Parts: sequence; structure tokens; C-alpha cells
Amino acid sequence: MSGQGNFEGADQYTVTVADPLLMETLHRLFTQTCSHQVIQVAETEGWAATIWEPLAGTGAPWVGVDEAVGGSGGGLVDAVGVLRLAGRYTVPLPVAETGLLGGWLAGAAGLALPEGPLTVVPQRPQDRLTLDGDTLSGVAHRVPWAAKATYILALVGDEIIAVEPGAQGVSIEAVRNLAGEPRETVRFERTALAHRATAPAGVDAAALRRRGALCRSAQIAGACERIAELTVEYAGQRSQFGQKINRFQAVAAHLVRLSSEATLIGMALDATTYALGQGDAAFEIASLKSIAGDSGSDVIARAHQVHGAIGMTREFVLHHLSRRVMAWREEFGSTSWWREELGRMVGGVGADALWPLISEGSASLQR
Amino acid sequence: MAVAQSSAQIGASKGFTYTTFTAAEEDLKQEVREFLRTELPTGSYRPCLGMSADHHGEFTKKMAARGWVGMSVPTRYGGPARSAVDRFIVVEEMLKAGAPIGAHWVADRQSAPTIMRFGTDEQREKFLPAIARGEMWFSIGMSEPDAGSDLAAVRTTATRTDGGWLLNGTKIWTSNAMQNHWFIVLCRTSPNEGDRHEGLSQFLVELHGTPGLQINPIAFLDGTYHFNEVVMTDVFVPDEQVLGEIGRGWSQVNSELAYERAGPDRFLSVYATFEQLLREKLAEGELDVRSYDVFGRITARYWALRNLSFSISRTIDQGGAPAVEASIVKDLGTSFEQEMIELLHDLWDDEEPSQEAATLGNRLLAACILTGPSFTIRGGTNEILRTVANKGLAAWHGVSR
Repeated sequence: MSGQGNFEGADQYTVTVADPLLMETLHRLFTQTCSHQVIQVAETEGWAATIWEPLAGTGAPWVGVDEAVGGSGGGLVDAVGVLRLAGRYTVPLPVAETGLLGGWLAGAAGLALPEGPLTVVPQRPQDRLTLDGDTLSGVAHRVPWAAKATYILALVGDEIIAVEPGAQGVSIEAVRNLAGEPRETVRFERTALAHRATAPAGVDAAALRRRGALCRSAQIAGACERIAELTVEYAGQRSQFGQKINRFQAVAAHLVRLSSEATLIGMALDATTYALGQGDAAFEIASLKSIAGDSGSDVIARAHQVHGAIGMTREFVLHHLSRRVMAWREEFGSTSWWREELGRMVGGVGADALWPLISEGSASLQR
Repeated sequence: MAVAQSSAQIGASKGFTYTTFTAAEEDLKQEVREFLRTELPTGSYRPCLGMSADHHGEFTKKMAARGWVGMSVPTRYGGPARSAVDRFIVVEEMLKAGAPIGAHWVADRQSAPTIMRFGTDEQREKFLPAIARGEMWFSIGMSEPDAGSDLAAVRTTATRTDGGWLLNGTKIWTSNAMQNHWFIVLCRTSPNEGDRHEGLSQFLVELHGTPGLQINPIAFLDGTYHFNEVVMTDVFVPDEQVLGEIGRGWSQVNSELAYERAGPDRFLSVYATFEQLLREKLAEGELDVRSYDVFGRITARYWALRNLSFSISRTIDQGGAPAVEASIVKDLGTSFEQEMIELLHDLWDDEEPSQEAATLGNRLLAACILTGPSFTIRGGTNEILRTVANKGLAAWHGVSR
């Protein structure tokens, strides 16, 4: 696979592009499988086998997970590309959870990847999980597709643990996010662990949150790009007062601005993906998630305004996208949480190091 | 449903490609930073607000000695022949520091590339080496009292006479005309009928010592003086000062405007103020949650906007013509500059901004509040820019129109 070229050599500069063949394959697969109807039904059933089966067949959910532990290989650039497309087509499945999140934790714990999907406990402040011998007790909130996963993976203290959702002592309460995706409350009562291992260096709560924020931002980037396309196209078809509504300056302003904000998210994502090849990208991810939230909110507000009443219906495709942006911006750290986190970094480096931070990112923190 | 896309774009950012500095570009950045540490150590001067910077001929000549003025000028015309990315580096470091780059700003950004592109060999020989030496400074001669965002409405006329043209009319908002040497004047050379974009032409006109040309100051709202009105009454301009082709002024001026739109000048006007306010806030003690939120929001957007603008420089070096992209940067950048003034102001709600305040941060904030409304006006209003960008938007997204 392609990915990040940090070319050696004095006169080279870097471009960050996901493997075009992989992107083309997924683009075709998603346009064929992610129909309006299928996404709608998935919301009721919490699953879409007609998408998962062919998707799993391509290995795409495991892109970015080491082949040594059963992943598909490929770098973060490709994995982020997969999620960006998954966001674009509102894939109602745990793609991020199976690969960049669950696959990463499983790999770190030496757990062989199963064929089925994985999920992770996103570590909400209300969670209470305790280990007692080889059993897990307590409650975890907003676990994506918990009931459908082969394993639920979690960080408990400095350990990575895996449990099967069907194991004894597990009860799952159906809760959904604003987009209708399963985000379940899972209770464990002396549930036997399927696997446990001490988390290696670099695998901790903060790292999980950063990865989660990266995944949701990639999905938001893809969703916003498609929202921009849909809205520009719609405004060129819909007529009022005897002319296409994109002829009205006030509407045109919305179209340009929402395209711009969507572009800003995409650029933030590309820059972060590159930085991840150099280090933990703590600055970039904090910036990315807060931009995805702020700009994503702007994109959906303007898109709905341009669409008018039809955009507020279930029969029109916009809600699949806009509700996901509403939901994803909350997950793995809300917009304001990340803004504040970033503000602490800024305060920490001080005024003289602010410009290096903005222009060089996390790399400037490592000096 | 919008699915029409070329495969090259799938899963990638449209129009913008993330890029990083080469080793040589990194060296240039360090050289500029070192220059600034020597010439303008922090705390030794009051930072300027971005491109509306102090006019400082000596500073300009020092920069020119490093090859940082008229950067696009080819070596055969005495210039350093630097790339758009190199210019991006110098400009962002200068603006970030609030350096006094006012003397050469217009000459470097747009006059030199315009003369290079449309000028005769004689004009290039005459102007470009002097611009690159930091000795010849330019103003813009586009706006008129009745032609702002609607440039095709210019009324200044140039009529044929023996060996040249006679110019009559008034240019306005001509920044630094009292100190600069030349300006490029957009005139009507044939009547405004039918296609109003036809019949416009550009002329190189000397601002001082030209009979019939009068410069009248216009006070800016904060009491400073850089704006002027330039009145021309039967100003004789010889044929050798016609820039480009007679009648092609509209396309020439649009090409000139494109240089204006996407640079770091569209988002760094308030940066030095932000940095200074952060410095003072930290000196007062621990930041509170509100400050963290505001500083985080501003920093994130700076970082992303800068990457967009940087990407455009790279695209230009590769021969691209990123028109929609440039509009995006100007609209996002200048709107953001205004928003951040309000965000920062809110953090200092116990202290009224004043140009005479005890702290530098407060004085700079006061200046930002006063001049901020101009950010989304200069270079063509954002409203008109969006209307123009909208025309290319469906094609840019690859959706049906």
C-alpha cells in the first residue's frame, strides 16, 4: 500500500495521500452497498450485514493494524482514508472500533484478531470498571456496537482486557447516539476475561482518546465533504422565485462557506495524518478534533438551512450525514474538551513558543 | 446523490494537498527567524498589525540585501528568483513578528509579478531590479470613489495624445502614496458600453513630480495616516509606461488580484496581538478555563488555515491556478481574524481597550478592534468574493450544475 512518503533528500517535500486503489475499491463498494434504504434499516436493527460482509472481505476494517497480529497492514494514512470514506458513506458499522481502536488494543495485548468486529470501551467519566482476579465487574457507557462485537476491549488501570459480550454476567442496555448508532451501556458482574495483558508503553487512556478523536474526525471530514457536495448540487437544482436558489447571494454565501469549513477539516486531517508518522501528534489531534467539531457544526447548520424543510425529513439523505456529525463531534472528547486541552498546551509552551507550535506542530514540542 | 468524482480525489482533500518544507526551505525559515531575532528582538518594538505595517525604508533595504524583496523577480532582472513557497516563508515569519514591511509590501506581492508578466523588457529593466533592491516602492491604483468591489466601474480615463496618454480621474484608498514611488493605474481607454470588462487598461504612473497629479491625505478612523486620494488632471503618461495591452486591463487586474488573496496576510493581522496577550496573561498567573478555550480555538484554526495557505503556495509553484482555493483562504482567514478579536476582547472584559493603555497587549487589542472591520473589505469584500467563488463551486466539487 502507499501512504506516507517522508522522502529522504534535500529537495523533497511530503504529500499525504491514501492508496488510490484501496480508495477506489471502497468507493465502489460503498456506493453499491450503502443505499439510503440500507442505512435507514441499519438504524433500526443496529447492524448491516449486507455492508459488513463484503467490507470485511476486502480487509479494509483492519487496515492500519499490523499483519503480525492478523491485521491487513498498511499505514495510518490508509487507515484514515478508510474512515474518511466510511464517514462519507455513513457506514453504520464499527469500522474504527474494529481496526484503529480495537485492533490496536488487541495487538498491544497480544490477542489474535478474530474474524468478527471489535469494540472498545471509550472511557466515559461515569464508568466504573474493576478487576477482581480474572473477572471484570462494573459498568461502561457508550460502548459502540457492544452486542455485535466478538470482543469488547477495555483499558482498566494499566491492563488491556477483552471480554465476550455473550459471556456470563454481561448485560447490555440499548442506548444510541444522536445518529441512532448503538452506544450501549454494558454492565459486568464477575465476568470472566477472555484475555488480559499489561498495556505496553504508549498504550494508555490518553492514547486511546487521541486515537478515538482521530477516527471520529476522519469520519466527520468524510461526512462534511459529502454534505458540501450534496448541498451545492441541491442548490443548483432547487428553484424558488423563478430561479435556482444558488443564484441568491445569501445562499451562495452558505455554499462557499460550508465548502470552506469542510475543506478546513480535511486539511486538518491530512496534516494530522502526516504528523502521526513523526510522533504522537498530540497537538495536531487536539486541533483536529476541535476543528472537526466547530467547523462540522457550521457545515451542518448551513447545509440544513440551504436544504430547507426537505432536509429535516427521514426520506432525504442529509440526515444520515448531519446526525452523524452531531453525534461524532461529542465522542472521544467533545469540541470544548479538546479546545481546552489545546489551550492548556498553548499555556504550557508560552508565548515565545506559540508560533513554532502553530507552524511546526507537535514536532516543536519534542525539541 | 453526488457521486461524480475523479478517482484521484476519492478520500483526499479537494484542491488542497498537504505539504511540508524541504530541507532548503527549512533553512530559509531559520535564516529569517535569526534575522528577526537580531533586527527585531521581542519587546524592542511595537508589532504592526499584519500587512498594514509601518513603512520603513531601511528595514526594507535590509530585507532586500537578503534577497527577500521582489522575491519572484528572475535573476536576469536582478531578483532572487525565489519560489512562491519561499515567499510564503518570508512573509509569514515577517507578519507573525509584526515587522515593518509596509514600504515594499505591494511591490513585492503584486507589482513585481505583474510587471514581469505583462511588462515590456524595458519596463522590466527599469522597475524590477530597483524593486528587488528595496528602493522602488509601489501603491495600488485600482479603487475609485464609485468603483470599489465593482472595479469594472472605474471612471478614470486615459485618452490618446501625441506619444502617450492623458489621464483624468480620481483614485482612492491609495495606501502610502505619499511615500511610495509609483502606482499602477487602472483606466478606461474606451467607452463603457456593451461588455464593461472591455476597454480597460493599466498604466505605470510616478506618484511624485508628475505634473497634474495631486495626493490628498485621508485620515483613517483610528487617526493614523496611510490612505490617500490621488487626483489626476491631464496627467501625461508616455507610451512606454503603458503596462501590458491596451484594452486588456480587466484580465491583467484579475491576475494581479489573485496574488492578493491567499497569502498569510489574510490571517496573520492579529497574530502578534494574540501572542502578546498570551504573554501578559501568563505573566499574571495561571490561565482559567475560559482562556484555555479561547486560546485553544484560535490556535487550532491558525494551524489549519496556515496549512491551507501553504498548500496554495506549493500548488502555484507546480504551475496550478488555485482560484477557488484562494477565495476560500481569504474568506476563512479574514473572517477568523475578526472573530478572534472578539474572542480575545471577551477575555479582557475587566479592562477597557485603549490606545493609551498601560500594557502593550491592551494597546494592540485596541488597534485591532478599531481596524478589524477593514480585514474583510480590503482586496474586495468577502461578500463579492463568495459570489464569484460560488460560480466555480459545482465544478470544484465535481457535482452537476
